Amino acid sequence: MTVTYEAVNREAVAELVDICGTERVVVTPQGRLIRAMVPAPFPFQRWADEAPEVAVLPETTEEVVAIVKLANRLRIPIVPRAGATGLNDGAKPNRGGIVVDTKRMNKVLEIDTTDWTVTIQPSINMLKLNERLAPHGVWYPDDPASYPVSIVSGRIGTGGWSLLGSRYGHVRDNVISMEVVLPTGEVVEVGQGGGRKIRHSSTGYRLKDLFLGHQGTLGIATQATLELYPRPEAEFPAFFGYESFDAGYAAMQPFCRSNLATLAGVILFDERKVQYLRRDDEAYIPEPESLQSIVAVAAYGSEGEVAAARDRLMRIGADTGGRYLGEELSELDWASRHDRYATPLHGRSRDRAVHMSWHCEDAAITYSQLPFVKRRWHEIADRYIAEHEVFDNWGMFFYTNNAYKGWGDFLVEIDIGIWEQRLDEASWRAWTDLKREITQVSLDAGGSISACHGATREGEVELVPAELGGQFDLMLKLKRMLDPNNIMNPGKYLLDQAYQDGEG
Amino acid sequence: MTRIPDVEGSDLVPRDPDVLSIGDRAAAEAATRKLAEGYEDRAWGCMSSRHKFCREPCPVYQVTRNEQHTSYGFHATVAAMSQGLVDLEDAYEQYAYCTQCGACELRCPNTLFTGDFYRNRTQLVQLVKAVRAAGVEAGIERGSWKQWNADTVTYRNEMQGDPAEVAGWADGLDLPKGGETILFCDCMAAYRQTKVPRAVSLLLREAGVEVGLMNDQWCCGGPALEMGYTDIYEQFARHNLEDWRKAGAKRVVTLDPHDYITFVEDYPRLFGDYGIEVLHVTDLLAELIEEGKLRLERPIPVSVTYHDPCRLNKRRGIWESPRKVLRAIPGLDFRDVDHVTQWAMCSGAGGGLPLALPDVAEKVARNRLEAAAPLGADVLASACVWAEDHLERVAAADGRMPVVDITVLAAMSAGLLDPEPWLAEVARHREATS
Repeated sequence: MTVTYEAVNREAVAELVDICGTERVVVTPQGRLIRAMVPAPFPFQRWADEAPEVAVLPETTEEVVAIVKLANRLRIPIVPRAGATGLNDGAKPNRGGIVVDTKRMNKVLEIDTTDWTVTIQPSINMLKLNERLAPHGVWYPDDPASYPVSIVSGRIGTGGWSLLGSRYGHVRDNVISMEVVLPTGEVVEVGQGGGRKIRHSSTGYRLKDLFLGHQGTLGIATQATLELYPRPEAEFPAFFGYESFDAGYAAMQPFCRSNLATLAGVILFDERKVQYLRRDDEAYIPEPESLQSIVAVAAYGSEGEVAAARDRLMRIGADTGGRYLGEELSELDWASRHDRYATPLHGRSRDRAVHMSWHCEDAAITYSQLPFVKRRWHEIADRYIAEHEVFDNWGMFFYTNNAYKGWGDFLVEIDIGIWEQRLDEASWRAWTDLKREITQVSLDAGGSISACHGATREGEVELVPAELGGQFDLMLKLKRMLDPNNIMNPGKYLLDQAYQDGEG
Repeated sequence: MTRIPDVEGSDLVPRDPDVLSIGDRAAAEAATRKLAEGYEDRAWGCMSSRHKFCREPCPVYQVTRNEQHTSYGFHATVAAMSQGLVDLEDAYEQYAYCTQCGACELRCPNTLFTGDFYRNRTQLVQLVKAVRAAGVEAGIERGSWKQWNADTVTYRNEMQGDPAEVAGWADGLDLPKGGETILFCDCMAAYRQTKVPRAVSLLLREAGVEVGLMNDQWCCGGPALEMGYTDIYEQFARHNLEDWRKAGAKRVVTLDPHDYITFVEDYPRLFGDYGIEVLHVTDLLAELIEEGKLRLERPIPVSVTYHDPCRLNKRRGIWESPRKVLRAIPGLDFRDVDHVTQWAMCSGAGGGLPLALPDVAEKVARNRLEAAAPLGADVLASACVWAEDHLERVAAADGRMPVVDITVLAAMSAGLLDPEPWLAEVARHREATS
């Protein structure tokens, strides 16, 4: 079969108005254009072509069900949109259609202080959720860079990663169960087994994971029950400077293997990242030129545990030749971890300051392969920058990537500045070529394209079947089974292949 | 590029009927071009980030949860206008969804850490004013704002009060006209919240500060400017400055943050340094208390939380002086909420929101009152008569806590006003809601 779509028509708009009322149906040009993009690099040269035809802001599960059924009946694509703060482009419509903007579904439904769960409509922001949880002495520890703005439903859609994951786990570890509206409009509860508050079960398949990180292709989460933790009594961040990347890289291993249960995360900055931060000495406390790499560590937990962790981490810093950058820098820099390291105002095109947006590559790579990936990514980025004035290299970070431990594979990030105002089709092609080359390096290193954002962007999605092998074929079968009309976020993850003749 | 085409059936979602247009496309295009030239670069500064950290603190977004109603949304629309994809007829309506509180400017990731190093500070308040002014220039305006501004020109105050009675609130206080220090009494305070200017006058007299009234006070003009009526604003501003100069004024004391910000931010843009010091009364009172010139000795046994007026806290960094005044009142149980936490709060009374979108403005106020409720305070105090009037109405409708201006509390504690009737009212409310 081949799926064909209909444009949004008068009948569809009339029904959407019936479902949500005129105030929650958006047809204005500006309302559609703003919902064409997310923070991921965007082809502004064809902005008009990328806009959805209509957006709708439901408030209840019933409204979501009605919208999904309408889309199925009329064969109109629907694109779930949560916070739209993702660095992958899952919430970007590829085929126009109806954007289902879920931000109004943000109610806290139950705070259970006995079994330590919170049940929510999932389009609440984590900072706001934690404001509600604070009086109960508990918190929900999901802590991405977008913590002050992103919302839980988007974190579910991307299967997000947390800066504190080595201590508290990531999104897939802390979403206990969910209510999901499937692409056909059926509503299903997914979790660990059947109980909404059960964290571990061996009954049946592990279907919850299927709905964490699907990039809006398999359903819309309309309710979620989340894990709660005691609020940390203490936190201890420390930043250590090293005279070379190699020294910082070597130091990372003993920090990650420090045997500290309170270790929340370890971050390595390479020399290009340090140079980037030095571009604007009001943005970063100046450090001597000899400092070429930084390792940042943080411990969270009870006061006694964190005090002991502090002593051990300081000793590892000293033993590995690190220079402690002081309490002020460590505390302030850690406190500003959500919004410090990327500002479009630092962008440089041929040494000229211009507004640049931010591409954040986020591969998962094992420790042994980090130097190889770093060398290759910088070579590729610098080659493109030499040819194109619209790109800039903002350096690299390496983060602990695994739940409840510091070792194993790492989230490897290179930040590429892109001067979007100057994009044309030729430079956009150059961008996707650059992206494809660095993605290929991740696979050459035996890694995964994306540790946290997802891999649906042009320039990487082409390589997803190569990474996943037989798992990709299984994805196609699951997609066609759950979404027979390819209504939900069509065009993502090459899933259209599931509907080509002879498939499915 | 040209404006993106409408979707079939888009007429089923009607535009806000409050938005009027004379349909002069040439004027609209000229206004759009001018806007885009002035703000395109800053719009791309915002668009390039797209982090949207400005969003959750925005009091209007908290109500609508519509990403168009944020600083990012407003900048994205300017970028779309600069590409010709959206015209002013489309865009104008969206820019009513702003109280001009300034929270987004404080929370902008582009400047939060780099400051204004790149001379590219996010200026959302100026952008909103500019779009609204461009609309008016092109014959696109809101009926509610148009009528309000016409009335304000007729009456020279925002309350449609008899212009001859602009100083009626001061009856019996024997305040002189003119002098070195002028008390500028806000329109709301002059005609409705009259207890506030009376309390301020009594406090200043008690502390030995001589203040006089203007010969003929007109509206400060700030609200007209906020709604895009630049000519009306300038007419008011020129009149008031002339009146101050004739009076020999060296300093102006304001009791409302909207007047204050107009005099310290907008008048200098129009007149340059006009040589008159402008103070907000909370700063002056805190200074007089510290110097021992004003003694607050009578206990006021109520629990109070304080609402930071946006134009003091977020836009001018004035948050310490009102707290000093409250802490100086004996017997008062002050349950503070940090001023940074209050970046995400607003009364909803500013920027023409209650006129254009009364339901949204009410919900903003309701959110503020709900945030105060868990503190268990008897009373919500503030230092802005517009915020207080708006919050008071919503609180009364919802059975929430009474609202009071801190100058009234201070005057009661200074023995200048009898607190008993008010304390009895607070006690009645406490009993009714306990």
